[in-house]
Amino acid sequence: MAIQFREVSYHYPSGGVNFYQAITDISLEIAPKDEFICLVGETGSGKSTLAQHMNALIFPTSGAVEIFGSKITSKRNKKIKYNDLRKHVGLVFQFPEYQLFEETVEKDIMFGPLNFKVPHDEAKLLAEKAIRQVGLDETYLKRNPFNLSGGEKKRVSIAGILALDPSILVLDEPTSGLDPAGKKQLMELFAKIHRDTGKTTIVITHDMDLVYEYATRVLVLHEGGLVFDGVPEALFRRDDLQSFSLDYPETIRIMKLVKTEFDLDIDIYKQTVTEAAREIERVMLG
Amino acid sequence: MIEVKDLSFSYTGKRMILKDISLKIEPGEWIALLGHNGSGKSTFAKLLTGLLEPASGSVEIDGIKLEEDAVYEIRKKIGIVFQNPDNQFVGVTVRDDIAFGMENLSVPREKMLEKIHFYAEKVGMAAFLDKEPANLSGGQKQRVAIAGILAMETKIMIFDEATSMLDPYAREELLGYIRQLHEEGITIIMITHDIEEAMLADRFVIFRDGALFADDLKERLLVNPELFRLASLDLPAQIRLANDLQDTGRLKAVKEFLWRSSFGK
Amino acid sequence: MKNIVIGQYVPGNSYLYRLDPRTKIIGVIVLMTAVFLLKTIPQLLLALGLALVILISGRISIIRVLKGLKPLFILLLFTFFFQVFFNKEGALLLDETMTLSLASVAGIVLWTIVWRLSARMNRFRFLLLLIYLAGLYFLFVYLPYGYVLTSFPFRIYQKGLEMSIFVIIRLVIIITLSTVMTLTTKPTDLTQGLEKLMHPLKIVGIRSEDFALIISISLRFIPTILDEANKIMSAQASRGADFSEGRLKDKIKQIISLLVPMFIIAFKRSEELADAMESRNFVPGKPRTRISELVFGRLDILTTVFLIACLAGSIVSRVLS
Repeated sequence: MAIQFREVSYHYPSGGVNFYQAITDISLEIAPKDEFICLVGETGSGKSTLAQHMNALIFPTSGAVEIFGSKITSKRNKKIKYNDLRKHVGLVFQFPEYQLFEETVEKDIMFGPLNFKVPHDEAKLLAEKAIRQVGLDETYLKRNPFNLSGGEKKRVSIAGILALDPSILVLDEPTSGLDPAGKKQLMELFAKIHRDTGKTTIVITHDMDLVYEYATRVLVLHEGGLVFDGVPEALFRRDDLQSFSLDYPETIRIMKLVKTEFDLDIDIYKQTVTEAAREIERVMLG
Repeated sequence: MIEVKDLSFSYTGKRMILKDISLKIEPGEWIALLGHNGSGKSTFAKLLTGLLEPASGSVEIDGIKLEEDAVYEIRKKIGIVFQNPDNQFVGVTVRDDIAFGMENLSVPREKMLEKIHFYAEKVGMAAFLDKEPANLSGGQKQRVAIAGILAMETKIMIFDEATSMLDPYAREELLGYIRQLHEEGITIIMITHDIEEAMLADRFVIFRDGALFADDLKERLLVNPELFRLASLDLPAQIRLANDLQDTGRLKAVKEFLWRSSFGK
Repeated sequence: MKNIVIGQYVPGNSYLYRLDPRTKIIGVIVLMTAVFLLKTIPQLLLALGLALVILISGRISIIRVLKGLKPLFILLLFTFFFQVFFNKEGALLLDETMTLSLASVAGIVLWTIVWRLSARMNRFRFLLLLIYLAGLYFLFVYLPYGYVLTSFPFRIYQKGLEMSIFVIIRLVIIITLSTVMTLTTKPTDLTQGLEKLMHPLKIVGIRSEDFALIISISLRFIPTILDEANKIMSAQASRGADFSEGRLKDKIKQIISLLVPMFIIAFKRSEELADAMESRNFVPGKPRTRISELVFGRLDILTTVFLIACLAGSIVSRVLS
């Protein structure tokens, strides 16, 4: 197991007026390869807090997180180089374009590897590989990141994390603020990287359609607790999603409407509009 | 009433961001201004309130032509709720922020206090008047922005992607308030790239590459999927499903149902 | 995101909170002037007593004020030693010879190690520092064994001691007064008070309303900016930036990786904010009405009388002594 959470809780700050319990007793395991996990939950359910435990940015106030063998608890352990863990678990924050600061795209992507004492020439190669991975060509390397479009900036900042070649990729609301075309493009990019490299990918999102389309596993947080851990379809078969402030994917919602209105025995669990259309036709026509 | 004639705009003089836009908006209408990223929607909004100066063309609001001196008169008639909840929150508290616009219009203090309470109630923020923005959610801040604009007795409101930084819950909540405003007769121009949101409006104005691509009641435009494809816009899922179903016998009823339900939200 | 700064506003309920901020600002200035006019320690002690009376009657927690003094402790200590060692007037109070010998050097090194090790406990830092200094004193004076490297006289004169006590009490009073003001006045009220007081500067072409607006907008954004700084630090930390370790060259890069994004966000914010303000009919320079009002009350008049009395009293005592 790459990452293990054992009854992890986190509250901040330690007592006092601003006390806030962010997550409570979370236990879960994440495999080092092949998983495409979506982490969902309403605002304030603790998703970002949970994500920041995965690369040791935050230490649990109780319980333990084990990341590739290193055990993280509330006490700082002098023997563990916490910084190194960030090579293995790459965390991309919301609006990552704000982390860009160098004069050239190349330098900015190299910032990560150089921090981990990767030799300069090797870091350059990693930058070249990373820029191609995000679907931009090498001409972008010498350009000034601030002259790029919003979408291009997002890709460059993601390349910055990919250049570290982390085994696990965690993306905090990566499609936030993008229009439908942009969302699709970005998610396809992550899906491609996942297919090509097999890296376990964890996407934090509100978008249930995204979950239905891409996830092999869904984690649902509600008020700081883990209330569901399983395959997306199992989640959508439940009828208590509203109590977690979650909605159903749009195809399922629409199919439910059609089923009720026309009293049809259709299988409402269809992910694409095409599949849904064929199912309705199948039942209605023959 | 808003009347735009041949409005064009460019930052540099070389590339036109907006080209010859002409349209009319009647009081009380709810318009969804749609278009791909970079089609000029936000620029259009800023031109309407004189935040930007057009290269050519004219804007006339309630008979007042938008020129240098008239800018201040125009701004009393139109308010904009921007995308970033933090970057439009000026006041140190909710009360101060709602007051900001009125202070600028030299409204007497007693009147301000009355109005603040009234409009804060309208957006459900009356209990939060002393709260600071750091303790408010994105949705709450957007509601305060609405209250602040209403307090200036503005009858035309532009929402420039005002829900895009909110989570689905807060988005639904905000759209509910916008619906209420429409019922009370406020003219609404909603800039969005979310077609489900746009379906709340009566009329779609579609920009494409800086030009006016389509402008009509939504039901007249939605029958033309090619239009939306060319504009790089999605159709609502119900309509996509309806379009994908065969046009035979009993399916016709399902198609009709789907079509109607996409309007019904 | 509540930050701990000297004298930050703490909500409360006493006459100090009900005073107009202008009264408090002028009050602090007048009282500080009065304190500077005093010349003897007994006079200062009286002033300190008065300050304590203001504190206690105003229901301000003395502990909070002491906490406000803590950061300035080093300054106070430095002032103390400066006066004590360099003022050679008056009666000789203490006359010792300090020697620096091999034995004492060894002793000092050992003693310093003990201090640093125990200082890790963190809890009684101040006390430990005092013990350390006391120990140093004894080592210098009482350990003249072995090869003597150098020796020098260590003398404390009466005047030196007096002056240092005088200066310290004065500093304490001044810091207490300003801390009381910031503890009982909201930053926005303070800004408005300053704005009203600086109104006359209009003659010189300075519009205090503009400055006040700048300050209040900055205040409003402090928590937001702190939040963003945290986010960016986390983002860069996820790329391996370690803000605590590293050589100077690395540290500079880490700081740039924080500052550049902060600046960019700040520029974007100011553009968007300006658009929002303008579209809400803001016109710089145009007179505006205000939602918050400062009103002088009976309490302010009474306080002004008190302030005049203090100033008069201090002038009189200066003249008399």
